[in-house]
Amino acid sequence: MTASPLYSGTQVSRVETPAAQGATELGVDPTEKDARGGRPRLGVFKFASCSGCQGVLLSCEDELLALADALEILYFPEASSHLQEEGPFDLALVEGSISAPEHLEQIQKIRARSKTLVTIGACATSGGIQALRNFGNLDDFVHRVYPRPEFIAALATSTAVAEHVKVDYELRGCPISKRQLLELITAILLGRRPEIRNESLCLGCKRYGYVCVTVAHGLPCLGPVTMNGCGALCPSVGRGCYGCFGPKEGANTEAMAQRMLQLGMSKDDVRNAFRFITGYAQAFREESARHE
Amino acid sequence: MTAPESSAAPLYRLEEAGLALLLEGLRRDGYRLVGPVVRDGAIRLQRIEGISDLPRGFVDEQAPGTYRLRSSGNGRLFACRPGPQSWKRHLFPPREPVVQLKRHGDSLEWRRPVVEDPPMAFIGVLPCDLAAIRIQDRVWMEGPFQETRYVARRRNTFIVAVNCLEPGQLCFCASMGTGPKAGQGFDVCLTELDGAFFLEVGSERGEAAVASLPLREASEEERRRLQESLKQARLRMGRTLETRGLGGTLFGNIEHPRWEEVAKRCLTCGNCTHVCPTCFCLNVRETGTLADGRQDRERFWDSCFSLDHSMIHGGYFRHTPKQRYRQWLTHKLGAWPSQFGTVGCTGCGRCIAWCPVGIDITEEATAIRKTSRGHVRMPQPRSAPVRAGDPLVPTPAQVKGVRQETPDTTTLWVEPTGPFHWKPGQFNMLSIPGVGDVPISISGQEGSGILHTIRAVGKVTRALTSLQPGALLGIRGPFGTSWPLRAVRGRIVTVVAGGIGLAPLRGAIRVMAAHPRHYPWVRLIYGARTPADLLYPEELELWRQLLHMEVEVTVDRATPDWTGNVGVVTKLLRAGRKVRPDGVYLVCGPEIMMMVVLEELRAAGVPEEHIYLSLERNMKCGAGFCGRCQKGPFFLCKDGPVFRYDRISFVFRHAGL
Ligand SMILES: Cc1cc2nc3c(=O)[nH]c(=O)nc-3n(C[C@H](O)[C@H](O)[C@H](O)COP(=O)(O)OP(=O)(O)OC[C@H]3O[C@@H](n4cnc5c(N)ncnc54)[C@H](O)[C@@H]3O)c2cc1C
Ligand code: SF4
Ligand code: SF4
Ligand code: SF4
Ligand code: SF4
Repeated sequence: MTASPLYSGTQVSRVETPAAQGATELGVDPTEKDARGGRPRLGVFKFASCSGCQGVLLSCEDELLALADALEILYFPEASSHLQEEGPFDLALVEGSISAPEHLEQIQKIRARSKTLVTIGACATSGGIQALRNFGNLDDFVHRVYPRPEFIAALATSTAVAEHVKVDYELRGCPISKRQLLELITAILLGRRPEIRNESLCLGCKRYGYVCVTVAHGLPCLGPVTMNGCGALCPSVGRGCYGCFGPKEGANTEAMAQRMLQLGMSKDDVRNAFRFITGYAQAFREESARHE
Repeated sequence: MTAPESSAAPLYRLEEAGLALLLEGLRRDGYRLVGPVVRDGAIRLQRIEGISDLPRGFVDEQAPGTYRLRSSGNGRLFACRPGPQSWKRHLFPPREPVVQLKRHGDSLEWRRPVVEDPPMAFIGVLPCDLAAIRIQDRVWMEGPFQETRYVARRRNTFIVAVNCLEPGQLCFCASMGTGPKAGQGFDVCLTELDGAFFLEVGSERGEAAVASLPLREASEEERRRLQESLKQARLRMGRTLETRGLGGTLFGNIEHPRWEEVAKRCLTCGNCTHVCPTCFCLNVRETGTLADGRQDRERFWDSCFSLDHSMIHGGYFRHTPKQRYRQWLTHKLGAWPSQFGTVGCTGCGRCIAWCPVGIDITEEATAIRKTSRGHVRMPQPRSAPVRAGDPLVPTPAQVKGVRQETPDTTTLWVEPTGPFHWKPGQFNMLSIPGVGDVPISISGQEGSGILHTIRAVGKVTRALTSLQPGALLGIRGPFGTSWPLRAVRGRIVTVVAGGIGLAPLRGAIRVMAAHPRHYPWVRLIYGARTPADLLYPEELELWRQLLHMEVEVTVDRATPDWTGNVGVVTKLLRAGRKVRPDGVYLVCGPEIMMMVVLEELRAAGVPEEHIYLSLERNMKCGAGFCGRCQKGPFFLCKDGPVFRYDRISFVFRHAGL
């Protein structure tokens, strides 16, 4: 209803969830027919990453045909050699973190050419496992790892795409979930709200009927503070979640950490648990810092 | 629902071999047996073949946030207390189809998929869980609507209950009046004692199932021992909860500091709601993919700890952990009796064990009771007659005309299939196949067609507002309460509307405009964001010319050509005159606008019972099943959306409910 500046501030708490927390609204609606009236144009881009998330897209064999019909694929280097880098794109899927100097400019260009920009995977949405370097000193790492460190051009930090440009939607996970990817693309094409829930992994786990590994076995599990979406993979095989989908909205990591300490983890272990695949996502980053 | 300790019902003794025969017999009769099974270190409720699958020799140890199975050192089959799963998973599955769409040429037909699973026999239903099934029956079966798939499963389900002689550390069924002896609702009830089973029959179906079993009447001594054991069990509850007046105490302490305190510990993970055998909140999603080309709809378990449970366009009613935890506790223990005539908690203890951080519902409720700062009177439950038909199945309707009202708002003129009776204030759920289903008020009638004025704010409303004449959509409804047009006859009526809030009021205004004899003096105060956002400008002009009507309009932000009022509606309300305490007020707009209007009316001495409001909440069903439209003890879909203010003021006053 009317959002009047005169009435703002009380009763209805108007908290917009920023894209970085998994926004529930697409910024732009690519189904709005563009002047061309053609099929929406897709671009798939990669920054610092292992290509695993693009692999998920490629593994959607059955659905891929339907997608290829519905979308015009302009740029997807892993799948095709026919590339139109200039766009413009109705939908850009961006994998990988911003990690090297040239990325800074590239991502700006992609943003400028894309109506809707979706980041896919832990790297693009949090900085990824390579963001562990953000907690140390890049030069030290480079000198220790590479025989000719002078050839290495890297930014001091590996960061999420959303720290550089506006992101309309994000798909979490290492790798992303096939169901969520298809749901997102389908929803965009059909003009419906994608059913990608920013809720705890626990809810997914309970719907599947898995037994909670923390309560029944005393294992630490990041499920209560991690966003659902993976199909509760780790708990389904009796392991605790290590948080690859990143923090859920409003993650109470402090209470979670308390519980992990209670279960017998050391302070170092708690820090390392939060400082892992999505360790540079804000809520996890701040929690790990509390256990320095 | 108290379970009588001593009953004169016949009691039989059955040996274990006889129990095996009972299960075999049920299987032969076509039942799928479902019972407790040890898996992954806990008791799960799943398909079993016979008594060999039951958890013989196991018992659980439970504490807040902890559950362990261990050897019981005896051969009992039913020594385990509630585990992480409850029977609701089988009657109200975590995911299931709601409707399927079939297209026949140009026409649409939605169908409710029928339940095809064989009937189930639940083996080993604990007394608290039997009570939970009775509580869920109220939610799904006892009106105003029935959930047909639940009804289909439930009617066919055979229940073998088991009394509890060894309550656990987290059990408090005795406090809740649900155990340790099973209350109503079983077909057969067993008590496992001294290596045998004592059996009671609770239904004709149960009678038939035990007819050929080797039963022998229990001796007086056995009967006495059983009763003594149950009495002992009652005294050995690990937890207690004082329930007297608890609802009024919880709602009288909405601003209690304890909510903040528990919110620091709560992870908002929602485990408590998903293990709870009575929680029923659900969400609905469209399932079609590009590849399958279908446009079906499914529902799945949801929780008031999810942020989108309280979402409306532009924000959330409950975004803080405090607001979410408070919703859970006040609903379970406080609001439920007003909604369903029973508390929503059976005392099973699941939410305490399976909370990863061990938050204890009994401890939280007791803490608030002990430091209570106020008490309110809770409304009595109202029983509604069960209405025929399936409220979840849309019927097709056709768009006859479209009218763009403002840049973002469109009125659809829709022709439903068959006659359609509605009252001003009521709403429909409008469906666009493959896109979604949203609540929209009925804003008027034109010939046999109805009007819906829709502001495009999101996906479904955008799809609705881009429909063209001839297009098909789905309608469910009408739902909800209406404006009190009869009760306000002869009174001075002031209508206060903000933004799209004029749409639900237009039907009522039209009636009052057409009948000056019944409504001698009607004043409309209407506020919009800008002059371009004003709805129905010609109709406003028409009303303004009527002798018995006064129409005043204001905008938040004027444009250069605007010569009218600027500012909030309350400014108009009191402009140049006193707010009449004897008048009647009909109010609809953003909740914050209504708060300001109410404050103005209160200051002017208008009694609360002279004020009517229409509220907005997230809604997925319209029929009282999805749990999302709650405001304290009220469901907007069936108790509202139009409320007399005095009935809801004790909850409306508080943000975040
Ligand atoms: C009783 C009632 C009467 C209403 N009458 C009108 C009316 O006459 N005209 C009008 O323009 N609007 C009305 N609304 C508000 C309208 O329902 C929402 O604007 C609409 O649901 C938004 O859906 P969306 O898909 O376009 O938005 P999105 O933001 O894309 O999605 C929101 C989703 O949340 C769900 N939802 C359920 N209830 C609501 C809600 N109340 N607000 C927001 N989302 C909701 C829907 O499934 C919806 O798809 C009414 C709401 C209620 C509760
Ligand atoms: S359970 Fe946790 S770590 Fe495992 S896949 Fe899911 S989100 Fe990732
Ligand atoms: S609220 Fe807790 S104790 Fe009560 S029925 Fe639900 S899970 Fe059991
Ligand atoms: S609102 Fe009530 S029924 Fe729904 S999840 Fe919360 S406590 Fe359970
Ligand atoms: S009370 Fe416990 S189980 Fe429930 S949401 Fe909070 S932390 Fe999760």
